[in-house]
Amino acid sequence: MGNWFKSGSPWIWMTGGAVSISLIAVLGLLLLIAWRGLSYFWPAEIYQWELVDQQGVSSTIIGEIYDREEVPTERLISAGHKFKQDPGEMVTRYLIKTGNREFVGLDFRWVLATDIVSRSKPEDVAKMERTKNGDFYGYPLAIIEDGKRLALDDVEASFEEHIERAVELNDRAVELQKREIGAINYQLENLRLKERRYELDNALTDSRKLSLQAERDKLQADYQLLEDEFFALRQEAARDSVIIRDMRGEEVTLRLDSILDVTYSNHLGILGKVGHWFAGIGNFVSADPREANTEGGVFPAIFGTVFMVMLMAVIVTPFGVIAAIYLHEYAKKGPITKMIRIAVINLAGVPSIVYGVFGLGFFVYMLGGSLDQLFYPEALPTPTFGSPGVIWSALTLAILTLPVVIVSTEEGLSRIPSSVRQGSLALGATKAETLWRIILPMASPAIMTGLILAVARAAGEVAPLMLVGVVKLAPTLPIDMNFPFVHLERKFMHLGFHIYDVGFQSPNVEAARPLVYATSFLLVSVIVSLNLTAIAVRNHLREKYRSLEH
Amino acid sequence: MISIDKSVMKTETLDLDNLSPEQTALEIRNLDLKYGDKQALFDVSMKIPQNKVTAFIGPSGCGKSTLLRCINRMNDLVDNCNIGGEILLHGQNIYDKKVDVASLRRNVGMVFQRPNPFPKSIYENVVYGLRLQGINNRRELDDAAERSLRGAAIWDEVKDRLHDNAFGLSGGQQQRLVIARAIAIEPEVLLLDEPTSALDPISTLTIEELITELKSKYTVVIVTHNMQQAARVSDQTAFMYMGELVEYADTNTIFTTPKKRKTEDYITGRYG
Repeated sequence: MGNWFKSGSPWIWMTGGAVSISLIAVLGLLLLIAWRGLSYFWPAEIYQWELVDQQGVSSTIIGEIYDREEVPTERLISAGHKFKQDPGEMVTRYLIKTGNREFVGLDFRWVLATDIVSRSKPEDVAKMERTKNGDFYGYPLAIIEDGKRLALDDVEASFEEHIERAVELNDRAVELQKREIGAINYQLENLRLKERRYELDNALTDSRKLSLQAERDKLQADYQLLEDEFFALRQEAARDSVIIRDMRGEEVTLRLDSILDVTYSNHLGILGKVGHWFAGIGNFVSADPREANTEGGVFPAIFGTVFMVMLMAVIVTPFGVIAAIYLHEYAKKGPITKMIRIAVINLAGVPSIVYGVFGLGFFVYMLGGSLDQLFYPEALPTPTFGSPGVIWSALTLAILTLPVVIVSTEEGLSRIPSSVRQGSLALGATKAETLWRIILPMASPAIMTGLILAVARAAGEVAPLMLVGVVKLAPTLPIDMNFPFVHLERKFMHLGFHIYDVGFQSPNVEAARPLVYATSFLLVSVIVSLNLTAIAVRNHLREKYRSLEH
Repeated sequence: MISIDKSVMKTETLDLDNLSPEQTALEIRNLDLKYGDKQALFDVSMKIPQNKVTAFIGPSGCGKSTLLRCINRMNDLVDNCNIGGEILLHGQNIYDKKVDVASLRRNVGMVFQRPNPFPKSIYENVVYGLRLQGINNRRELDDAAERSLRGAAIWDEVKDRLHDNAFGLSGGQQQRLVIARAIAIEPEVLLLDEPTSALDPISTLTIEELITELKSKYTVVIVTHNMQQAARVSDQTAFMYMGELVEYADTNTIFTTPKKRKTEDYITGRYG
């Protein structure tokens, strides 16, 4: 035993064990998130159950199995449940998603296995994804086209065709609303601001008034035309409807413009399911959210996260590098420099919410408020930069991650052999020239390392953003087609906040849960891909300046 | 006593104490140097002749490298370094306040103990000093690169891979590349700080041959640990001990008939 200790192998086991535990923890976490998030998009089987409850009332429900758990019989009995025969020690309880929210009140329900009389998997039952009220389960019976009921043999094919038509028309309407109508609204607002500016400058002459009015009239006329077009598209999309028999056995008529997609999951082959799965994922990353973020996609959140992080990187890199250069190259070595360095390192330990409060007070209210006073007086009292926005978020996170960049840049600078510096100086280079031509390129891998750490930290930060720019739902992206194209004052959506919002602020917790996993997985993927890009750049730079490994 | 091949020894000798201004490249006058409280050079005075190779020898820590680094003011980079006295280059004190250090270093090039190429291509290494002077004309740079690489006797080895990374070269090639880089800006004086101490014997020989060629165009000052090397390449030798210049004379004289006891002891290997 003593020899075994002396041999050093316990240390190897201990250190190796620590590494394995960390690896298992990380992999387990990723696998759990990936599994729970990605399986959400897999089309589940739709069942029809015949139930008889303890009062002897029979009913039918249609839906997907969402979850199951084992409940001790005793607990159910003490809760007042009566069993006709002894079900054993445990009873299985299913959580079933039944959809049809507006007709049955609850779209999720718990069903005890003992209440189930029979379960079947009908071929012609379908799940419909709708723009409102969640999913709908039922048997599509017939299509009503333009008020006439179509006599069809193949309801399924025709149904899908009609949905496609309605979806396409609706997409066009949405596109029109976002692009053209949005642009006119933007111009109208600009005109209003222009008029207000003249008014503030006491320069609103009659001729100006007239020309503004003329422009406005023209825009209004355009608007009218577009609006007519929009309503025409909408009306056209609402032309058809479908008759569906739901689980109560009643025939329900749904307008087709409320249906986005139909899936006959029970007769999809494996290929069909895989196709459906990919389509679901594609839709999730590319679509806008619907219904208080519990349905639809997360594209604005992905865009907001990536855009904000890049903006932050653009701000933090030059500041951090310049500060590190001063500290390392120019500052006299003494107690003051030492104290500054310690302060910088300690900055990294300040809780992020404190940065959020600082950002709100300093950037948003002070800086943004003064910018508004100076440059946007016509918009007041509506704030332009004086309210939380993506630029303030990026700045706040830049301060938060500044220490990381400074520390790793300094480390990189101190790793450069002094012989290289002297070589450059001996050729008649000044210190600045040496820095610019030799030292900075050689330190660039270390700067990239700092940036990687900064991005990793910033992309996952949520708390400060809630104060300085993130919102639950942003109507517009920070980049669009309206001049000046990049709108740094706008609020934005963020994947991290989205997780919090969907998971904890959602009106429909059960429906939102898989989305929490899916969004978490997406956030991790976004951070990993940002990091991989940076690491690739760093490795390229390292290869280029590999002199450090003398 | 080291055996020296008398046939290669120079017959012409200079009177080092009474060099005419035309013959003098550098004049060091009463140089004192302190690192903080520790004095490293004591009242060093000497004249270094033009287009000759002058060697500084002496045991470790005798101040020979420090003296060399004073000539292009590399000691400025060291904190707490105090220098008294003068070094005259063309009658101008290089420690004068008006002197621009960067332009001084363009006139006084330096090659260090270990090869220190920049992490750039061979070509960019050579033209680095020219680019610093704002020369960006392709033709001019190409000519200078070829001339310097030929001057450093490395052209034939690298002419087909000028745009490869300089770190692909061997140690001896790197050192010659660094010499090429130094002579590309055409300095008047070339300082070599133990240029072969990190090299193998064959590379050392190549560099030594190169040094004797270089003196036709440049005044060369070399610091070396290796007394045979000093004897082989230099015209004058200065022996330093504990920060003092003990003896400075023709290499021939120093190695055959040293005047001071200390010099003789060192040369005959009694210490150091």
